[in-house]
Amino acid sequence: MHRLLLFLAVLFPAFAAAADPGYLSELVARSREQKLAQRPEWRKLVHYEPNLIGPGVHGLLDNRAFYNSPQGKTDPRAELEATLAAFFAPDSKQCAFIARRAWLDEELKFDRSRLPIDDCPKFREWHDALNAASLTLVFASAYINNPSSMYGHTLLRIDARDQNERTRLLAYAVNSAATTDEQNGLTFAILGLIGGYPGTFSVLPYYIKVREYSDLENRDLWEYQLALKAEEVERVVRHLWELLPAYYEYYFFDENCAYHLLGLLQVARPELELTKPFRWWALPSDTVRALARQPGLVANVVYRPANATLIAARVESMSKEERGIAKELSQGKPGARDALRGLRPDEQAAVLETAHDYLNYRRATGKAGAADPAALAKDLLLSRSAVDAPSQAPRLKTPPRPDEGHGTSRVGFGAGRRDGQNFQELRFRATYHDVMDTDAGYVKGAQIQFFDTAFRHYADEGTRLERFIPVDILSLAPRNDFFQPLSWRVAGGWQRKFVQNGKEPLVAGLDGGAGATWESRGHKAMVYGLAEGALQAHHELDGGYSIGAGARIGALVDPTPRWRINAYASGMRQFLGERDTPATIGVQNRVALGRDVALRLDFARTREADRRFNAGSLSLQVYF
Amino acid sequence: MKKLLIAVAIALPASAMAAGENNIGNCGWGSKLFDGQSGIAPQVLGATTNGTFGNQTFAITSGTSGCTQDGAVKSNWKTALFIDGNKEMLARDMSVGSGETLDSLAHLMGVESQDRAAFNRVAKENLWKIFSADATADIMANFRQVLAADAQLARYTAAL
Repeated sequence: MHRLLLFLAVLFPAFAAAADPGYLSELVARSREQKLAQRPEWRKLVHYEPNLIGPGVHGLLDNRAFYNSPQGKTDPRAELEATLAAFFAPDSKQCAFIARRAWLDEELKFDRSRLPIDDCPKFREWHDALNAASLTLVFASAYINNPSSMYGHTLLRIDARDQNERTRLLAYAVNSAATTDEQNGLTFAILGLIGGYPGTFSVLPYYIKVREYSDLENRDLWEYQLALKAEEVERVVRHLWELLPAYYEYYFFDENCAYHLLGLLQVARPELELTKPFRWWALPSDTVRALARQPGLVANVVYRPANATLIAARVESMSKEERGIAKELSQGKPGARDALRGLRPDEQAAVLETAHDYLNYRRATGKAGAADPAALAKDLLLSRSAVDAPSQAPRLKTPPRPDEGHGTSRVGFGAGRRDGQNFQELRFRATYHDVMDTDAGYVKGAQIQFFDTAFRHYADEGTRLERFIPVDILSLAPRNDFFQPLSWRVAGGWQRKFVQNGKEPLVAGLDGGAGATWESRGHKAMVYGLAEGALQAHHELDGGYSIGAGARIGALVDPTPRWRINAYASGMRQFLGERDTPATIGVQNRVALGRDVALRLDFARTREADRRFNAGSLSLQVYF
Repeated sequence: MKKLLIAVAIALPASAMAAGENNIGNCGWGSKLFDGQSGIAPQVLGATTNGTFGNQTFAITSGTSGCTQDGAVKSNWKTALFIDGNKEMLARDMSVGSGETLDSLAHLMGVESQDRAAFNRVAKENLWKIFSADATADIMANFRQVLAADAQLARYTAAL
């Protein structure tokens, strides 16, 4: 027997000191006594969530190795006991489950002489390289014109002890994202909906994400610095180590990057419950809001404007002449150099900086518009370095924070009159923002709505579904002499509509369009125009379908910060399938009564299937 | 440069370990930087730059979503990686003589606060020389020369 033990000790050095299997059963017994498997710490470390149907729980991570017990995904106690056993095993899992070990050690006070503690040099090396002092949740705001980014994105930044606000680029960032090389936004959106991608956690230098979001995609970043104690930061860092080799099935709406980052973050404190409100729906902006709502959790918020935001601010403060020179310089036009010499040094500096940044913006968006943009960029920098003036970077006023905007879900209670008939309406939007909502915390002109649903009650016809629009995206991106984005819209769903046979069925439709938007100086008004196409299908339509083309024009005006008007006109010729020339002219008003309450007053005159009628409605909208 | 090579050799097993058994892709950032680069360090860095003025870093960042490695960068080649990943913004900050990219570099190099103003000024005045080449290794060599020629800053050449 002794010889066998000796043999084992030679074979498995870890066993040499351990060889106390009795201690494992002791620990298991104590863990049962203390009901450790039911504690919130354990639930969070293994990411258990209550089952949607029936009792019990399941772990959200989907790789086998994250569980030590074959039943670990659904049985917290089996997993806890198997984890303890794994700490005793020859190939001890202590280093792979370093956060679980730390917590179990806190609770069970491991006797070092009976359970030797691994030193875990690789973990320590990594841990020391991170040198974590505090954590910051970084929110990348919407990227106009890219619908899959409109929800925003979150990162967790690990701030090191020796950094300050001037050297934050040197921090590390934890990214939680779907693992895919998919470049097609639509494929990504669809596969993302059904859990088609594995989601993973990764750590990378923050500057890489800043370059990506701020310089390349032109998304403003919001840095929410968290007030966590040192031991709370430690818990998160240890748990991050456990999560690095793990993966989960990525679901665009609920189990997404933002949700899993909260799952990581909430191990900081036993009482911190961040993921709970997001069982069904986790928008990055909502998760930021949840964080901001925790009393005392957010210490400070830093705004990091994107390159395009800074250029827009620079351009606004420049004279027409300076703007002209900056633009020509960025295009490499030789005459601009002479014009530059006529300016004061600080003006020259501002013009050169703008020219360079604008050229870089164009390079990043793939429209450099110069023969050798790299050489030109370098040339502009060299010219700038020869000007004796300090940085002319604009000082931006921090806009309202993403967590300060209206709630993303909306319900509306309204009443109105159409064609001489009164109606009451109940409207619901699952998420997120439309161009008539207040813009604070959102990107103006960027509308993305999911599951916009309305029920109407007419005295004659009873209650009926008026509209059900699963997807409605509108991007009104203003153009000026520096930026020329396309405005566009796409929407798909079911909506009531008069057809030629006199009925008003719920017609399935898909429509989209493209055009342009311009904004006034001071941002009080926008005008837009879009060419549009529409495809409709319903058996009440002549031939069962119709295809049409048309146009829409409109103006969004803010007479006061609370009041917005959208005056619009649209017309279409349906030239295939059922023939018709529908047209609408109307005006919508929104008056904000508070952040999450608004009044809407809409009027429209419509021609549809040769009927002409007026409609008006007043509704109260509540955001939550 | 030797130092860089060694650091790369140390870092690789660590990332292979953390990628774990799942093998569902490796870190785009790390792999693109080091993949198949068994040669000398300038080649390692050269692979990411491709002779452009830093724009190639953008291509690297787009592949990061598959990253499952632990990702922490060792301090002794942190500076080289930082310059490599921030060339464009670094040149931009130097042209102005201030900015967070330049501040971050100064911090990595251990430039003390009383030398910061001189550091920024010298970088601005010598931008043409520092960025006369595009490869990270050359930029570092040029910067080292520029620092060596300045009495106050010569002691920081070792930090590059």
